[in-house]
Amino acid sequence: MRKSMILPAIASALMLTTAGAQAEAILTAVPHQTTAFAEIFNPFNQTADQRSVRDFMYEQLVVFNRMQGGKAEYRLAESFEYSDDLMSVTFKIRDGVKWSDGETLDANDVYFTFNLIKENPALDIRAIWEKLDSVELVDDSHVKVNYKEASTGLIFDVARLHTVPEHIWSSVEDPVSFANANPVGSGPLTEIRRFTPQEYVQCRNPNYFQADDLKVDCIRFPQISNNDQALTAAAKGELDWFGSFLPDIEKTYVSKDPENHKYWFPGGSLVIFNLNMNASEEGNKEAFNDVNFRRAFSMSMDRQAMVDIAGYGYPTINQYPSGLGRGYHAWNNPEADAQYGQYTEYNVSGAAELLAEAGYKDTDGDGFLETPSGKPIAFDLIVPNGWTDWVNTVQLAVEGLQEAGVNASVATPEAAAWTQQLLDGSYQGAINALVVGVTPHMAFNTFHSSKAMASRFSVTGYTNEELDGLLDSFFKTSDDGEQREIMNKVQMILSKDMPHIAVFNNPYWYQYNTARFEGFFSADNDQAVPTVHDGNPERILHLLSIRPKG
Amino acid sequence: MSFILRRILFYIVAFLVAASINFLLPRLMPGNPIDIMFANAGNSMPPEAKKALAATFGFVDRPLHEEYFLYLKSVFSWDFGVSIKKYPQSVLDVLMRALPWTLFLAGTSVVLAFCIGSMLGVYAAWKRGGAFDSIVSPSALAIQSIPALVIAITTLFIFGVGLEWLPTSYAYKPSLDPGWNWEYISSVLYHALMPVTTLAFVSIGGYLITMRNNMIGQLGEEHVVMGHAKGLTDARVRYNYAARNALLPSMTAFALSLGSVMGGSLITEIVFNYPGLGNILFQGIIARDYPLIQGQLIIMTLAMLTANLLIDFIYIFLDPRLRKA
Repeated sequence: MRKSMILPAIASALMLTTAGAQAEAILTAVPHQTTAFAEIFNPFNQTADQRSVRDFMYEQLVVFNRMQGGKAEYRLAESFEYSDDLMSVTFKIRDGVKWSDGETLDANDVYFTFNLIKENPALDIRAIWEKLDSVELVDDSHVKVNYKEASTGLIFDVARLHTVPEHIWSSVEDPVSFANANPVGSGPLTEIRRFTPQEYVQCRNPNYFQADDLKVDCIRFPQISNNDQALTAAAKGELDWFGSFLPDIEKTYVSKDPENHKYWFPGGSLVIFNLNMNASEEGNKEAFNDVNFRRAFSMSMDRQAMVDIAGYGYPTINQYPSGLGRGYHAWNNPEADAQYGQYTEYNVSGAAELLAEAGYKDTDGDGFLETPSGKPIAFDLIVPNGWTDWVNTVQLAVEGLQEAGVNASVATPEAAAWTQQLLDGSYQGAINALVVGVTPHMAFNTFHSSKAMASRFSVTGYTNEELDGLLDSFFKTSDDGEQREIMNKVQMILSKDMPHIAVFNNPYWYQYNTARFEGFFSADNDQAVPTVHDGNPERILHLLSIRPKG
Repeated sequence: MSFILRRILFYIVAFLVAASINFLLPRLMPGNPIDIMFANAGNSMPPEAKKALAATFGFVDRPLHEEYFLYLKSVFSWDFGVSIKKYPQSVLDVLMRALPWTLFLAGTSVVLAFCIGSMLGVYAAWKRGGAFDSIVSPSALAIQSIPALVIAITTLFIFGVGLEWLPTSYAYKPSLDPGWNWEYISSVLYHALMPVTTLAFVSIGGYLITMRNNMIGQLGEEHVVMGHAKGLTDARVRYNYAARNALLPSMTAFALSLGSVMGGSLITEIVFNYPGLGNILFQGIIARDYPLIQGQLIIMTLAMLTANLLIDFIYIFLDPRLRKA
């Protein structure tokens, strides 16, 4: 009985709050899924649930637009210049920039921040001081960064420094645990208007240097803890800018408002199969170290089915023998396709033939192939439990492999255990993803021998001295032609050896709603990577292009 | 009084054992928090930076026994350290923020389930074999065996997503600021409706069946026959003579579930995105946030043991035989 009285009361309360519509342009975005927000606005914090601090509250120096071939979009820096030997880079800091509290932002703050993360390695989240020698304050508008080795690639990390105000942070006792509850920033949205564990609203910086381009007054960040909740809120039209895996998106999201509910999934991180060349079982080790086996593995992959069935058609198929990916097609070496393209075509009978020619046969009569030296091959492909699109991908892979006579199976450990097995090298085979950078170098560099087993991205145990040399020389030059030449050779090596088997590129998850705002990036307006997630430096460009309708 | 002393001693030992298991369990899980934190970042952290980070979280390479004693010390000084996932907040802060929601959500539903279930059980036993008993009792058993997850998701889908009658997540409307006003309180009640109902629904069956069976046992006893013979009203006999005695075993179950309330109703909280302890624990486990997991488990253990201790005391009053023991 009590309940029946509550419902009408609440209904009227809801009416009241929605009636007072705001004249301000308040965008609703979900950059991160979490269970509760807490007031932590430290831009160096890796774990905080507020993913609107970097880029939106603290600007970077330069953004390199991955979709425009790495074009420099200047933020706090107005320009940068290399020394002739590529051993240092000098940033000119924009004139007349002010912090949100009205103080001047200049090279002193940038210089201070570089040193801050040097003194506190826990803040050096991009690990830049590993490769930096020193930083010099040239004058009030110039900072010179000295490298340990010549490089034209290091700037992609260096320029992502989120400068913090010296006049505030110099008196912070422990910047690592500093919560920064009253943030003073340089970005477009620095003012926290309201804050509850379930929602916070971050509003316009009164002194923003690019105020004329900023049409969004505030962003409201509702707490959403998983994809189902994101879908529920999105289907009701509550979210303007977000990126979640939504199953059957046309039906679950777009059809609720076909005019306004939209999405765009450009190809992102590279999804590959890793085979552990240091596997502890002799038969697996022998097979994984044999390029013919890896080629047959690749030919057993029904990539189109993986994209269409496992990925709901969202990913972008990847049939580059080196794993380059369509996003870097401008770098493609057609010779690699011509020579090795056949190994990325789905062809199970071809795979079986290739294995037979290489001496693999079923000697013990269990229906599965043994290695040329007669040892059994049997391995698990591990995939994190619950990552449904990947689990289905691995199932398709196993089907293909078994058809070719290879005894592979699926194992689904929990995500943390999957990471652990990759890191300690105890896995046999695994599905994995490589983060892609401004150039293909970032993904390929995971094969550099110095990276071996240093992260979950470099776990195959494959090394090649020639490849090391090429990867090293790539950023030693600023000449486009020379870089292209090097990348061509890198692709030839990787295509020939096929140390990992690329299957598709994961989509960048990005959905938007044009009911209240316009100017969103889309396939027809592909200015930059469109995601709202922390870790996409281009999201600042996207924010500045969104404007209220009408 | 030696009964009470023995019980207290038992609980202290139980707590120590639980605390030790609590120390070992998270460490037996594969994976460590720092690696997980950076597993999906593009750059690999250099070892020095990782070490620096690990140190800020209090992970220093020490022999296991040293770590164990440090842990015991922290448990008894009620300081669970800093959460990794919610750095730099302390574990206690994180847990205390979630605690009221869980107490409210799970507490309400346990009390509801106990009251409704027991009442229905009394009625079913009184009219045993009747239409009510033959429909309600088997259905209670059936409902009890449906996993909570299924009921929660089905309710969410029908009333939240399909009919849109009830909110699908949050403890209150996000645009409201917490305060002692009707708008806020009504929003809290409105948002709790679905989770509380589903939680209570699942456990009603258990209480119903226990109560019914005890009651039937009691109804055959001589003092009940005596009550009838004295010409007392049905209600008097039912509640004062039979139900009062039949309630004893149900009380134990009730106390146990009150204790487990502190664990948060994991599934319900996750499905309805409710900001309680269960949701926090789940996130903590995924991130291998050892301090958070440990803090949460210790609080759960304490709640469980306290509930048991209380019920022991209550038994002394309810059951005179124990006073002589």
